Amino acid sequence: MSTSGPDFEDMVNNAPCGYVTLHANGRIAHVNLTLLAWSGHAADQIAGKRFTDFLTMPGRIYYETHIAPLLRMQGFFNEFAIDMVTAAGEPLHMIANANERRDADGKLLLIRLALIKATDRRRYEQELLAGRELAIAAERATQEVLLLEHETSELREQFIAVLGHDLRNPLASISAGARLLGRTVQNEKEQQIVAMMQTTVMRMASMIDNVLDFARGRLGGGITLEYDAKGPLEPVLAQVIDELRLASPGRVIEFEFAVDGPVNCDRIRIGQLLSNLLGNAVTHGAADKPITVRAETQNGSFELWVANAGEAIPQAVMDKLFEPFFRGKARASKQGLGLGLYIASQIAKAHGGALTVASTPAETRFSFSMPLA
Amino acid sequence: MANVTERNNVHVRGAGDRAMVFAHGFGCDQNMWRFVAPAFERDFRTVLFDHVGAGGSDLSAYDWAKYSTLSGYADDVVEIGAELGLKDCVFVGHSVSSMIGVLAARQAPGMFGKLVLIGPSARYIDDEGYVGGFSAEQIDELLALLESNHMGWSTQMAPMIMGNPDRPELGQELTNSFCRTDPDIAKAFARVTFTSDNRKDLAEVSVPVLVLQCKEDIIASQEVGAFVARNIPDGRMIVLNATGHCPNLSAPDQVIAAMRAFVS
Repeated sequence: MSTSGPDFEDMVNNAPCGYVTLHANGRIAHVNLTLLAWSGHAADQIAGKRFTDFLTMPGRIYYETHIAPLLRMQGFFNEFAIDMVTAAGEPLHMIANANERRDADGKLLLIRLALIKATDRRRYEQELLAGRELAIAAERATQEVLLLEHETSELREQFIAVLGHDLRNPLASISAGARLLGRTVQNEKEQQIVAMMQTTVMRMASMIDNVLDFARGRLGGGITLEYDAKGPLEPVLAQVIDELRLASPGRVIEFEFAVDGPVNCDRIRIGQLLSNLLGNAVTHGAADKPITVRAETQNGSFELWVANAGEAIPQAVMDKLFEPFFRGKARASKQGLGLGLYIASQIAKAHGGALTVASTPAETRFSFSMPLA
Repeated sequence: MANVTERNNVHVRGAGDRAMVFAHGFGCDQNMWRFVAPAFERDFRTVLFDHVGAGGSDLSAYDWAKYSTLSGYADDVVEIGAELGLKDCVFVGHSVSSMIGVLAARQAPGMFGKLVLIGPSARYIDDEGYVGGFSAEQIDELLALLESNHMGWSTQMAPMIMGNPDRPELGQELTNSFCRTDPDIAKAFARVTFTSDNRKDLAEVSVPVLVLQCKEDIIASQEVGAFVARNIPDGRMIVLNATGHCPNLSAPDQVIAAMRAFVS
């Protein structure tokens, strides 16, 4: 092993790192061949000049404000980034270690710097930084979207609530007017017209209910229920059926009730669910065949189903029945908003139950089932 | 919020009726004064502190709006002076803290009797009829680099520093905290430093001022130092036989000698 001589000189000159020695005043004393090759500067152009003259402007400021003070305080400074400028004017990205040599009195004699190329590392750092900034920007954008969505949903809720109110009032006037007329009608023709008006009022009222529920159910915290374990269920269901019978003259609706005990549910909501299922059966079922409704308790659950005759529902349609705004094929004048079955299924879900459908050429049956406990 | 002493990591040493306040510049903290301040502890109460965001200051006290101008930093200096009841003291500012001292002296008449400005610059960017040493593009480049390529800087600003057996006087505390700066705050401090313009404030300095200047300083050249000394009514400049931007570290003996002559 030699620490001097031609081999040693070669080791320093052609080391796989750049090497610079600076005088105490910051001027260059020695540079090895590797750094000359990397930077493209000639030895005689570089000797005696200030090392900082070969740095990029930010590099100079950083050297004076950070590297030089730290070196002076600690005697060394490891792993700092430093950018030189090549003779061609290109930046030369490097990582460096530096230390000082002092005399016995602590007086600075020279500064040594070992530099390795760090182009890829710098690129990697830049990509990491860009990634971080991208993530921050994405986060900010998400926050903005959330805020906007929140504002939009609030506005929509308000709009629909106001709309619901404004639609219900005139509808109530029509309903009251029709009821008054119904008391004094002279003949069957007039009676039919009044009945038709009541039917229309009922359909519209249920559409408005569904729209409001849709808005709240989707945008608010889901449908809220007012459970009542004691109130009897039968009168509520019977009333819904009576209304539908009245509104659909000529249609036969058969009702069986076999509930032996209280059902803890929101009775108004269950009535709404039945109303929606019945409305659906009246619209889509065969007009000349009866509609069957059965409410029963069995095996610890409450079941309520509505069956009608008519064409079987194709499988493709079946898959989408409970989606909002889905409208099966029916005469245009009889179509609703396509919210009835969706709302019914949401009511079922809110009760911890489910709404299912089974359809054959003989019968289409919508079944609601919920656990009793 | 923490009190002034904690916020700015204030340390008071020394003895005497008069006080000497040392303010560090961009890139460092009060350790910058390690070789200078002790020389004055016999005759002065020395007051050392870290600007908020640097060294051992309370980072939670960093206020982006307040510290977007140098006067925010000057407010802190005045607050420290008021807390300690300072009157007619000597303010010693390095680099950007020179102008912070100029602003503080105006804000609190009577608090500072003399100013020592080491490597000061009233404006770093060249202007019509004024040489600051940097073009606007170069400063933009610096700030862009600070913003776009900060990782390199951040690893530099919080380097992993191990013990140094050759220099036992540098204790563990020092090697672990010296020049520690939050990277985002360092960026903001660089911006306020290098885009400041305090040329008009110089004429309003009513106390004697000593400018200490290195021969070769690429941050603040002799020309820049001369401008500061010339535009302060009672200003004078001494050019030290030293290079670089930190003579308080590279030539502490010269700094001490020049200061002693000025304050005694």
